[in-house]
Amino acid sequence: MKRRIFSSLLLASAAVFTAAGAKAEDTVKVGVLHSLSGTMAISETSLRDILLYTFDEINAAGGVMGKKIEPVVVDGASNWPLFAEKAKQLLEQDKVAVTFGCWTSVSRKSVLPVFEEKKGLLFYPVQYEGEEMSPNIFYTAEAVGQQATPAVDYFLANGKKKFYLLGSDYVYPQTTNLVLLEYLLSKGVPLANIGGGFKKDESGKIISAGKYTPFGHTDYQQIVAEIKQFTAGGKACVISTLNGDTNVPFFKEYAAAGLTAETCPVVSYSISEDEFRGLPAKQLVGQLGCWTYFQSIKSPANKKFIDGFQAWLKKSDVPGIVKEGRVTCSPMVLSYNGVYLWKMAVEKAKSFDPEKVMAALESGISFDGPGGKVTTQKNHHLTKNVFIGESKADGQFKILKEFKDVYGEPFLKGTFKAK
Amino acid sequence: MSRPLFVLLSLIWIAFTGEQVRAEGTPQEIISKAIAEEDAEIQASQIKSLLGKATPEVLQLLRQWKDGEIYLYTDAAGSKTVVIPEGEKDSEDKQIFHGLSDGRILNDAEGKPLKLGSSDVESADTSSSSRMAIKAVMDMAALLDTDLKRRLQAIQNIGLEQDPEKLPELKTALAIEKDSSAIRALNESMAFLEIKSDDPTVQLAACRKLGELQSIPSQDVLKGIIVEASAGGRPELAVAAQASLEQIAVHVRNVNTAGTIFRGISTGSVLLVVAIGLAITFGLMGVINMAHGEMLVVGAYTTYIVQNLFGEGLHLSPFGISMNIPGMNATGWLYNSYFIVALPVAFLVAALVGIGLERSIIRFLYKRPLESLLATWGVSLVLQQLFRLIFGASNVDVSSPVWLSGNWTVNDVQFGWNRLFVIGFAVIIILLTWAVLNKTSLGLLIRAVMQNRSMAACMGVRTDRVNMMTFGFGSGLAGLAGAFLSQIDNVGPGLGQKYIVDAFMTVVVGGVGKLTGTVVSAVGIGVADQSLQQILLSPVLGKILVLVAIILFLQWRPSGIFVTRSRSLES
Repeated sequence: MKRRIFSSLLLASAAVFTAAGAKAEDTVKVGVLHSLSGTMAISETSLRDILLYTFDEINAAGGVMGKKIEPVVVDGASNWPLFAEKAKQLLEQDKVAVTFGCWTSVSRKSVLPVFEEKKGLLFYPVQYEGEEMSPNIFYTAEAVGQQATPAVDYFLANGKKKFYLLGSDYVYPQTTNLVLLEYLLSKGVPLANIGGGFKKDESGKIISAGKYTPFGHTDYQQIVAEIKQFTAGGKACVISTLNGDTNVPFFKEYAAAGLTAETCPVVSYSISEDEFRGLPAKQLVGQLGCWTYFQSIKSPANKKFIDGFQAWLKKSDVPGIVKEGRVTCSPMVLSYNGVYLWKMAVEKAKSFDPEKVMAALESGISFDGPGGKVTTQKNHHLTKNVFIGESKADGQFKILKEFKDVYGEPFLKGTFKAK
Repeated sequence: MSRPLFVLLSLIWIAFTGEQVRAEGTPQEIISKAIAEEDAEIQASQIKSLLGKATPEVLQLLRQWKDGEIYLYTDAAGSKTVVIPEGEKDSEDKQIFHGLSDGRILNDAEGKPLKLGSSDVESADTSSSSRMAIKAVMDMAALLDTDLKRRLQAIQNIGLEQDPEKLPELKTALAIEKDSSAIRALNESMAFLEIKSDDPTVQLAACRKLGELQSIPSQDVLKGIIVEASAGGRPELAVAAQASLEQIAVHVRNVNTAGTIFRGISTGSVLLVVAIGLAITFGLMGVINMAHGEMLVVGAYTTYIVQNLFGEGLHLSPFGISMNIPGMNATGWLYNSYFIVALPVAFLVAALVGIGLERSIIRFLYKRPLESLLATWGVSLVLQQLFRLIFGASNVDVSSPVWLSGNWTVNDVQFGWNRLFVIGFAVIIILLTWAVLNKTSLGLLIRAVMQNRSMAACMGVRTDRVNMMTFGFGSGLAGLAGAFLSQIDNVGPGLGQKYIVDAFMTVVVGGVGKLTGTVVSAVGIGVADQSLQQILLSPVLGKILVLVAIILFLQWRPSGIFVTRSRSLES
């Protein structure tokens, strides 16, 4: 795989050089910074694919301010320091006008100082924990208030009284669960009804809420037994920020313990349609997801988007691209939206200068994306629709509820007052 | 019958009888009437006339109604018919419908089946009263369900809802219930409802009963009662609830202890199953076999292939060559038995891969154990990449057969089928390995060769062949373990890497070269791991402590629990 990617990169850069030599005037360079190898490659390669599709779509319609987009694809290789190096390379050598990239929070944190120092512009597309607002990053991602809290609202409206917090042990679940803890307390859920355990510092302040397992953890017996007792009194649910394939042993154990979506539903913030490709969908039927986009949304814009992407995949000649069984998911759509928002901002600012583009973005730009209308905000986040969906055996979601035009607020910690 | 006429008739009937409507006719007719009915009260009583008479078909209809899958069709003359869609939608998104009460397909004026789109019909809606009535019918039907599991679930649901009006239904069910676990559940649920009673003595009795039943679900309710009773100035109720809570707490402790021991043994069994192959290739043969993890993966992917051969077939594109392997499209028990077939196949395939590996690489390295580490590590990387090329980088989906997902609950301690299976599986594998090594002539040769290769060769043993067979046997056992792992973990190219460290740890702690040691250390590590998780409430911390304990233990006893004593000079 690595070698394949390497050769593809070589080819790509060769193509870039010839193209650049031929008509440097008519193109604008755009960076794509995702992991195309390593653990995160499964998820992030999809984002590269959707970005290349979007560039082709825009170029076919005349480009951005008359200039064709010329992608510079680099591989972060799931290696966080390498992300920073690659970002530096994109900004210094390639002098890209904008970069679309990063998946994990740690990779974003790693490139953040580079973008701030070199005055670049980064679009970040994946749900994250908030508590950040860099002048050089635009977050098309779901903030906590656009994913975590709406799902809690849904559970509360369905009469759930007890919440078990479970997650993988890293920054996104830890921070999200702390915000959720405050949110639940503010909604009148007593501390005793929040499961998973708490860690307190010496002064008695809760510094960690919920149960955490390392990446690649496989033995969920003890945790599921604990959940089983926690939920015995009914009206309980599980809020899971478990990442990636640890979900499989968890859900297998969950099903074996006789827990179902009816007795105790699980909402997973990290499972989208794309992750479902590697999960046994049948065992997850009825469990919930909460995103700002589902492939099952019925709208002309979404149909056009899906059909366009599938048609592009068929004739795509990107080396090693997976053509079968492809789906679309929220991070992909947020990447797609990001490119269009950037295009509109450039056209509004009449300049490719990152600072001017960011100013245009801050002024409020709306785009009708596959998941409905999104509008940029002054705080570098998006107002967008949020959907709650129930997973089906085919790996798609049935939409249960829609929250319209949810404001993206990154700084939620400490804003909820306990009742 | 047209709707106004029907309403008129029912009104007349109500006037005559002066009591609840007892609708007559087949259940389909009753539901059809109820759907067309506009008066919410009559509608609810019509639905309730099905109480206790609900067959699966009726329940299906009620469910469809609730889910909006039954429709009302208004024809040109304005009369309404309750209809259900039939068959697939055509290219224009239209389909044919049949009437609910008579089952006849709707025809147009010319007598041809009428095709309707979604705009031609309206979905039959439900109101809160009709939904409650439907739920009551469904609950009652569930209380009488022939399947014990569903019945228990229904009983528990009614208990947790704490709707005192359901008490008579539970009493009816209790009168005819024969299964002891269901009787216990019914008593528990009744206590749940009685605790909401206005009568203080009933409430107090219910409180005590929940304690006697050691009902884990009742803890939240009892805590609520204590708060209420203290505020309402009823100390005797608060005391009773507190006493019950303490009874339950003792029970929970016992359940947790028993559960932890069971989970520890099952974790230990997983370790044992994973490590037993390594105990042979590394423990007996002395090959530092880093490719052991990939032998697990071979077994897991074999299971995946067998599963798909039983199912829909599979599509693979190794090295860009696309190939379709047709499947048997089996369903039911035949499909669920795929796993039984997969086990020996996984053993054989992994054994063959192991033999190939031994012939091509390892046989040159028996005298150079450190180089075997590097060589097998290299092989492991090559194999991982090979899996990626054949099966793709994503994990593949191996579903658990029905008989492996589920559990057996005794006194609130849960024994998962998959976990019981792995314990039994581990026992069988150990017995098998022991028998092969100690009761067969191959075993005798293996032991002779492992003790002293050159001496065995002098005695006329074909050491080359024995080495090959031994390595194949160890790899085959790893394949078996991989087949099992596919039931509890992800099947992907990286599966082996997750277990290789655990496998080495188990073998080293047990004492290299001793099967008994591997068994003792696997179960010991498993129980210690689960107990620490239970005590520290953190899986990460538990694992760290186990590792620290192992390091300290190996400082104290570097050769593990059971030490192999040998007179040979090299050791």
